[in-house]
Amino acid sequence: MIRLENVTKSYLTLRGRKVVFRNFWLDIPEGRNVGLIGRNGAGKSTLMRLISAVDFPDSGKITTSARLSWPVGLTGGLQKSLTGRDNVKFVCRIHGVRKSGIADKIRFVQDFAELGDYFDQPVSSYSSGMRARLAFGLSMAFDFDYYLIDEVMAVGDARFKQKSADVFKERLQNSKIILVSHNMRRIQKMCDIVVHLDRGRATIYENVVEGIAAYHAAGGVDGKRAAAIDAEDDELEAVGGTEPRAGASSGVAQEAAEADDAAALERRRARVARRTARAARQAAGGGK
Amino acid sequence: MYRVERSPYRIQRDVLYALLLLELSSRFGKSRGGFLWVLVEPIAHLLVPILIFTYIRARAVPGVEYPVFLVYGFLPFLLFKAICLQIIDGTNANQGLLSYRQVLLMDVFIAKAVGHFVIQAVVFLVVLVGLGMLGFHVLPVRPIELAGVIAMTFLMAFGLGLLFAAVASLVPDARAAIKILFMPLYFASGILFPVTRFPDHWVQILSINPVLHLVELSRVAAVEGYRPMPYTSILYPLALGMVTTLIGLMLYRQRFLTKVTM
Repeated sequence: MIRLENVTKSYLTLRGRKVVFRNFWLDIPEGRNVGLIGRNGAGKSTLMRLISAVDFPDSGKITTSARLSWPVGLTGGLQKSLTGRDNVKFVCRIHGVRKSGIADKIRFVQDFAELGDYFDQPVSSYSSGMRARLAFGLSMAFDFDYYLIDEVMAVGDARFKQKSADVFKERLQNSKIILVSHNMRRIQKMCDIVVHLDRGRATIYENVVEGIAAYHAAGGVDGKRAAAIDAEDDELEAVGGTEPRAGASSGVAQEAAEADDAAALERRRARVARRTARAARQAAGGGK
Repeated sequence: MYRVERSPYRIQRDVLYALLLLELSSRFGKSRGGFLWVLVEPIAHLLVPILIFTYIRARAVPGVEYPVFLVYGFLPFLLFKAICLQIIDGTNANQGLLSYRQVLLMDVFIAKAVGHFVIQAVVFLVVLVGLGMLGFHVLPVRPIELAGVIAMTFLMAFGLGLLFAAVASLVPDARAAIKILFMPLYFASGILFPVTRFPDHWVQILSINPVLHLVELSRVAAVEGYRPMPYTSILYPLALGMVTTLIGLMLYRQRFLTKVTM
């Protein structure tokens, strides 16, 4: 159970105070995969920041007995001046992992992230893909009751994505997720309940489809158009065309859901083919 | 599934320990032989003026060994400067650390302040031992009073650092302006020679500078027979340290130190 009691949260901007939540109440029930949806600016990310204690409410209380992750795959949490190894050690230390445990975590992340010699080089020398692999590996090295995912995307080649999806799937046997996404297909695949944010109020839908309908209704979009948007999202993401938030390409969560169905593999191949074709066209068009 | 329960005290301890190691190792790890360089740089910073003004310009303060006078002037000054600047920059650097729920901004401040305190302490011990081996009388005559002055310096640096950080987070452009303030501070704190050489009305103006009081107090506590400027006060830096720390903590609690977003 994650409980938000009478939470008010505002941000000070150059044009005065902007209130995101006023006297906001929300109980997120235990043991469910939660999809957090709402239009741009509805407060999804703010709510996520509050739940993950990156940010704090002006007033009100947020309580939980569950162990919550930091935002999964977050590369901003890496210290650039430190090596990959030292970053793992640091995160272990703040999570109270003792000596022998630290060695285990290091081994896990080292195996998972496949950084080779770079594991002992400063993170500042990493490519963005390497940073993402390290950050994702780090998130997967710890057991949490909830993984908090704000449009998390696996970065890397197809093989690495598959590997991320496998590990993530394994984690989901014992853990739950809170997922922020604009991709309703992913929400439908991954989540048991939906929290719909609209104008600073939250509504919980036990039925995911109903929740998604409410989201579309709030955006003034009918069902047919919505389906088209979702399909478009999928496709754009597959070719790396959208960047919903900091650096995204294709969804781990989605991949996890799709991993066990063979059709997905087929679809992925088709996308890769499309992407290649598009790249070729672009190259022919003088890099435009 | 295993569960690790930690008491709040334990979490606090783990976090401060991790941040302290992080602060020190990111200092030390910057370059090859980083550990040595961290010490060499401030030691050189101290030794160069000592050599120049003791042997080449041959300055003297009556009744006092000049290098010892210099070192105990630098002690509170450099400590103040290091800690204060670290805290001002604390809101800027390491934003990513705050994404871990265990880590609060105040933890970052404390770790930075303590980390740089440790570095400065080691630097001064090395310099003092060096001067001692050259035959100077470096042992403080009133060690407990000196410890008090150091504690006061820490408090004032922390409090003013928090205040400045609050100003800098409300008006980001102010950060550079605040840092410029630190340049004349070197000359306004009577590091190289006693301010009593100036005419009295100048000394009165200079005595507004709280760091000057700390510098004078440090010398009084450490150097036998040192005569401080007449306006030296314990109450002024102490009260200023307490008041700024209280206001700084209050602003911190009201979240004035987080960045203006959106």
